[in-house]
Amino acid sequence: MISSVREYFNTGKRSLYLFIIPITLYLIFFFLYPVLYEIYISFFDYSLGSPKTFVGLQNYVLMARDEQFLHSLITTVIFVVSAVSAELALGLGTALLLNYESRIMDIIRTVILIPTVFTPLVAGLVWKALYNPDLGVISYYLRLLGIPIGRGLTVERSTALFSVILVDIWEWTPLIVIIILAGLKSLPKEPYEAGAIDGASSSQLFRYVTLPLLRPTIIVAVLIRAMDALKIFDIIWAITGGGPGTATTVANLRIFQVGVQQLRIGYASTLSNVLLVMSVLVGVFFIHVLYSKKYGGIR
Amino acid sequence: MITATNTQWKRTMLHSARAVVIALIIVFVLFPIFWMATTAFKQRIDMFVLPPQWIFKPTLDNFRYILSTMPVGRWVLNSSVISLGTMALSLLLGVPAGYAFSRVHFRGKGILLTFILLTRALPPVVIVLPFRVIMQGLGLFGTRTAVILIDTVYDAAFTAWLMSGMFESIPVDIEDAALIDGCSPVQAFWKIILPLSKPGLVTASLFTFILSWNDFLFALTLTSPSTATLPIGMLSTYGILNQGWTYMMALGCLAIVPVVFISLLLQRYYVSGLTFGGVK
Repeated sequence: MISSVREYFNTGKRSLYLFIIPITLYLIFFFLYPVLYEIYISFFDYSLGSPKTFVGLQNYVLMARDEQFLHSLITTVIFVVSAVSAELALGLGTALLLNYESRIMDIIRTVILIPTVFTPLVAGLVWKALYNPDLGVISYYLRLLGIPIGRGLTVERSTALFSVILVDIWEWTPLIVIIILAGLKSLPKEPYEAGAIDGASSSQLFRYVTLPLLRPTIIVAVLIRAMDALKIFDIIWAITGGGPGTATTVANLRIFQVGVQQLRIGYASTLSNVLLVMSVLVGVFFIHVLYSKKYGGIR
Repeated sequence: MITATNTQWKRTMLHSARAVVIALIIVFVLFPIFWMATTAFKQRIDMFVLPPQWIFKPTLDNFRYILSTMPVGRWVLNSSVISLGTMALSLLLGVPAGYAFSRVHFRGKGILLTFILLTRALPPVVIVLPFRVIMQGLGLFGTRTAVILIDTVYDAAFTAWLMSGMFESIPVDIEDAALIDGCSPVQAFWKIILPLSKPGLVTASLFTFILSWNDFLFALTLTSPSTATLPIGMLSTYGILNQGWTYMMALGCLAIVPVVFISLLLQRYYVSGLTFGGVK
């Protein structure tokens, strides 16, 4: 007679497999296998429709001299770092502004969620129209205000990357706001009372009480955003297609061009490996934080 | 007296400043949405007028046009089939796994959990190339199944993680009591634990549906014209001169309205999914 779930799982191993095996097999076949295949194929000269030839490290040598790809890596880093830090700063500020209990605040907190539900491609197409150099509403108002935008924000090399970052900020700052609002709600009251008795100003309370207590929340929020920003594709594809020139070509876009458009699958896999390493590093840090007491891990 | 009025004045100023900043944030958030919604109901003569006219004679012509000239019904069907299929498969794989994670330790648990969490970090571009080759090998390239299969990699992992958090919040004593009363463990899971986990199940269903509905890259690389989804369909308005934006935005509204509607309706669950289970 089995009288506890743990005992059941520990003795009747077969039923444990019933719960775990399906997802394990699924991930092995549709996640691990594609990734391993991608690593394997990166040592081949392989274009769709032509035979595979083993070329050893040739693709990697090629990559080290591929300025277009190296440039796309730099663009990726600039994109991720500026988008996420802007979202953190704006998100923290907005959360502090909205951290009041009232009916209106409830409505506002609901409204700001809408961008996060937006199909990223649709968001990109909407902003592309708004940015249109001649007929776009944004271009019109900026010119009206006397702000020089050249031929248009998305067309000028100097502002194109900024213009796609702004769309990412629009879509994802609300995520940070929501996470930080939840963090603020769960803060203990005692440190504030103690601080107030000691005569701390509200900016001191923020600097020495709120921020340190929010640290774990902020780290999780930033890592979730960093992982997702590293995946950026739809918005840039829709708004600039990577241009002008290569000004907004992030690594994802470059790999897509090489792999899906030029069908150079072997070489695209080599490039993918770099991105894979970058995202796994961020991912591993994220997992570490989720489980680590030091960061106030949530599990 | 003077200092008192001074502080009061300062406070009023601070409150007004806060209200102004909040108003600006709302304008920034809503403006693109508002522009999309209005453009979808504009006629060509109103569309290109600058400054933009916020008051105009609305028309349903754009919707009539896209519905009569484009296979919108098929796109909606494809998007729905793919999203619902992904949702069902993700729950089927993810929910039992989440339960096992929350209840027992077993060999390989750490590795499996690591893989599950790593899916979140994996850029779609990295996996879609080999996946496409594999799908071609299986004869599934260009089918809705191919998109469901790749969406499920992300969504089943998400579900497993989310549900393990959900199950952890349910005391194990509840099942143990059921077992003593003569339930089999599978019965206890099915009849007692699952009903108690409704919030988690709603979140997982809602979120896997939205993630799949909003996908673009996988549909772009894995579908054929007959299995194209709504976002892919929107691209076909690119070629239409003059009236392009109004048609595009009408399609955009069709793509957005269902997901915005259900996520606001189920806001609490949506937020929980959005924050990776961090906000319950």
